[in-house]
Amino acid sequence: MTAITLPAPGKPARRSPRHPYRAALASARGRVGLALVLPVVLAGVLAPLLAGHSPTDQSDLSLAAPGTPGHLLGTDDLGRDLLARLVYGIRADLGIIALAVPLGALLGCLFALLAATHPAVDTAVQRAFDLVLAFPGLILALAVTAILGPGRLPVVLVIALAEIPAFGRLLRTGILVEREREYATAARVGGASPARVLTRHILPNAVDPLVVQIAVSLTVAVFIEGAMSFLGVGVRPPQPTLGAVLSQSMPYLADAPHFAAGPLITVTALVLGLSLIAEALNREIRR
Amino acid sequence: MTESYPSPAAPPSRRTALRAAGGGTLLLGLGLAGCRSAVSASESAEKGGAAEPRRGGTVSVAINSDFTPSLLFAQSGQSLQHRLVYNTLTRYDDELTPRPELATSWHYAEDGRSITLELRSGVTFHDGRPFTADDVIFAVKNLQNPARAAQLRATAGVITGFEKQGDHRLVLKLAHRVNNLFDLFEFMIITDRNSVEEALKGTRLNGTGPFRLTKWSPGSGLSFTRNDAYWQPGRPYLDAVEFRVIPQADALVSSLRTGQSQLTFQVPGRNLAVVKSSPGLTVTEYDTGGGAQYLGVNTTVAPLDDRTVRQALALAVDRDRILKQTLGGYGLASAAPWPKSSPAFTEAGRTHYGHDPAKARELLRSAGHTRLDLPLLHLGLPGDTAVAESLQYDLKQVGVHVTLRPTDPATAQKDLISQKMPALWTMSHGFAQVQPSTLAVSAYPFNEAKNTSKYRSAKYTRVVREAWTSPATGAAANALHREISDILLDEAFIIDLVIRGNVQVAAKDLHGVTLNKFAYLNLDNAYLAA
Repeated sequence: MTAITLPAPGKPARRSPRHPYRAALASARGRVGLALVLPVVLAGVLAPLLAGHSPTDQSDLSLAAPGTPGHLLGTDDLGRDLLARLVYGIRADLGIIALAVPLGALLGCLFALLAATHPAVDTAVQRAFDLVLAFPGLILALAVTAILGPGRLPVVLVIALAEIPAFGRLLRTGILVEREREYATAARVGGASPARVLTRHILPNAVDPLVVQIAVSLTVAVFIEGAMSFLGVGVRPPQPTLGAVLSQSMPYLADAPHFAAGPLITVTALVLGLSLIAEALNREIRR
Repeated sequence: MTESYPSPAAPPSRRTALRAAGGGTLLLGLGLAGCRSAVSASESAEKGGAAEPRRGGTVSVAINSDFTPSLLFAQSGQSLQHRLVYNTLTRYDDELTPRPELATSWHYAEDGRSITLELRSGVTFHDGRPFTADDVIFAVKNLQNPARAAQLRATAGVITGFEKQGDHRLVLKLAHRVNNLFDLFEFMIITDRNSVEEALKGTRLNGTGPFRLTKWSPGSGLSFTRNDAYWQPGRPYLDAVEFRVIPQADALVSSLRTGQSQLTFQVPGRNLAVVKSSPGLTVTEYDTGGGAQYLGVNTTVAPLDDRTVRQALALAVDRDRILKQTLGGYGLASAAPWPKSSPAFTEAGRTHYGHDPAKARELLRSAGHTRLDLPLLHLGLPGDTAVAESLQYDLKQVGVHVTLRPTDPATAQKDLISQKMPALWTMSHGFAQVQPSTLAVSAYPFNEAKNTSKYRSAKYTRVVREAWTSPATGAAANALHREISDILLDEAFIIDLVIRGNVQVAAKDLHGVTLNKFAYLNLDNAYLAA
């Protein structure tokens, strides 16, 4: 009879997950992604240092061109400094997505774990996911804001709600695959309770795809926040967000294109950068 | 008093003649160079200025909100189609002198308690039925019906009796003398009494107007074709009119610039700079004032029940900046509700509250306040949000910290009517462009009997009632108008900011377009130049 050696609880059967992450960020895609995302994140974090004005202070100097003394990026229609609105807008966006995406991920994972406990629960959770997925993100946003009104909290809730099925389904698939592996069977044979097998043995081996999903979800979150603010159901004015500044700039695209340039470039950099990072992570993890 | 007009073609007023002599280039104040009265523009064209009227063609009109048939008899945000399908009894000229439409002449009884209308004969509805005095009786009774939510119901309610003298003469008996009866006649569309319920559903609009509604596609638009049996000989010139619903301002501007639409009145001021630079388009501002942006104050919310605090708010707002930065400079910064064309307009009233934050702070201190926290409701549309943000900033400078509460137009309108507004709100009001008394007896924010601010005062009621029931012109009328203005300015329960005119954007080859005082589009004389 051959002795079976069980892997230590909490230690995944595969290689350490830190390696593919490092490799992904060191790849060309990862580097470009970081080069696009990090300056934006830094601008948001350092907003109070970078902005020479309050983002809500108005003046008679409306639609001033970039390079106007005291206003590096010019001013908006109400005479507010565009640099201040941009960096504080980034800060507001980062604050929202940094809260919403982990919240969505956490809830999605909890639902996935719940679904793994019993086929009936699994069916119920999957139908609930179907229900959320049946609504396009913006319809969901409008429905939530119709109930709660516009503001920061509804934006966080909408993003989190939209992300729950993505994380939930991804983790559920991982669990279904991993629990059929030998180490999981061995753990069950060894007397581990179903909950322990799930949380200590299967879960650590099923989380890699979630890291990629987080990067993808950050991209989606930037989109959703921007769209909600653009439609006037996001963060309440006068607090700036990237979507809100972009929305305000629309009537002036022909006469003052610099008004829209800042948020457009920033959103593009964020979305492109996060997409590249997600792709790099995906490639390394699947390798 | 008797006024008779032999033909529908009105003689040019002195003002019109002056404008024509000046080449129709009436420059408005506030840097609005190039903007002139649309009425004068069309009249210049008719005098041979632009081109010979050409028969035929279709005009596409871009609108930002759909036709709402349930509001057919109320003053809604979108009433452009009313004068295409229907006629009114009279129409005002630039100086608020009534001109004939379906009523060809009229005379008041000596005591002012009745008016005799001579009605136009030979007029038929689109279904061929002749127009008679019964249709006018129905139109008045229809507006008296509370279910119609007509703002001029109070004036319609003054008509207590009807005496038909044949099919085309009608005596209206009045409960008391009023001076805004012709506002009612300008406002009241003459609908087919047999199909009014269908009209309220939008399934059939049967009027006597120059165009017949052939199709309404909810959310998409309306189609009209020429009424060949129209009572004005040779009119209209156009074969058809199309209304296209384009809610987004940018898309609306694009439709004009690409030639998909030839006419609109709904380009926000902030978007007009783009339009003005388009070579194929003309921007024309009507100088009569179609509405006014205001800051409403709920006088039952402490400390806004204190007049001093309300006056401080009136001094804190920078009207010129709001006009320039949020409305593209189209309008007239004013503390009083009246446009320049109103008999109640005075320069002193317009400038009564200048931008004086120091004095505002002083007033607040004298009332015992150094900091206030108040909510401000506003429409969540981009232009309205910009106005709200400007107000928020101005008020913050004097220690009034405002939390913005965006809402949708339907909810705001409901709250306005049902007096459920929070401490502060900002919207726009109409009815100052006609007889001054109409504003105070008809507009929800100003109604002396029941207004959104919940402001009540025996003096206000007395002055308004007196102004309503006195002759519309003369020294006594002017004194009453001043008194109403003084109360509005002193009590500051509605803080007017900017009087907004209707701004018309049209293709350069479209001529002869006019609006009535309630923004009903008149295309009787419109044509597309070759």
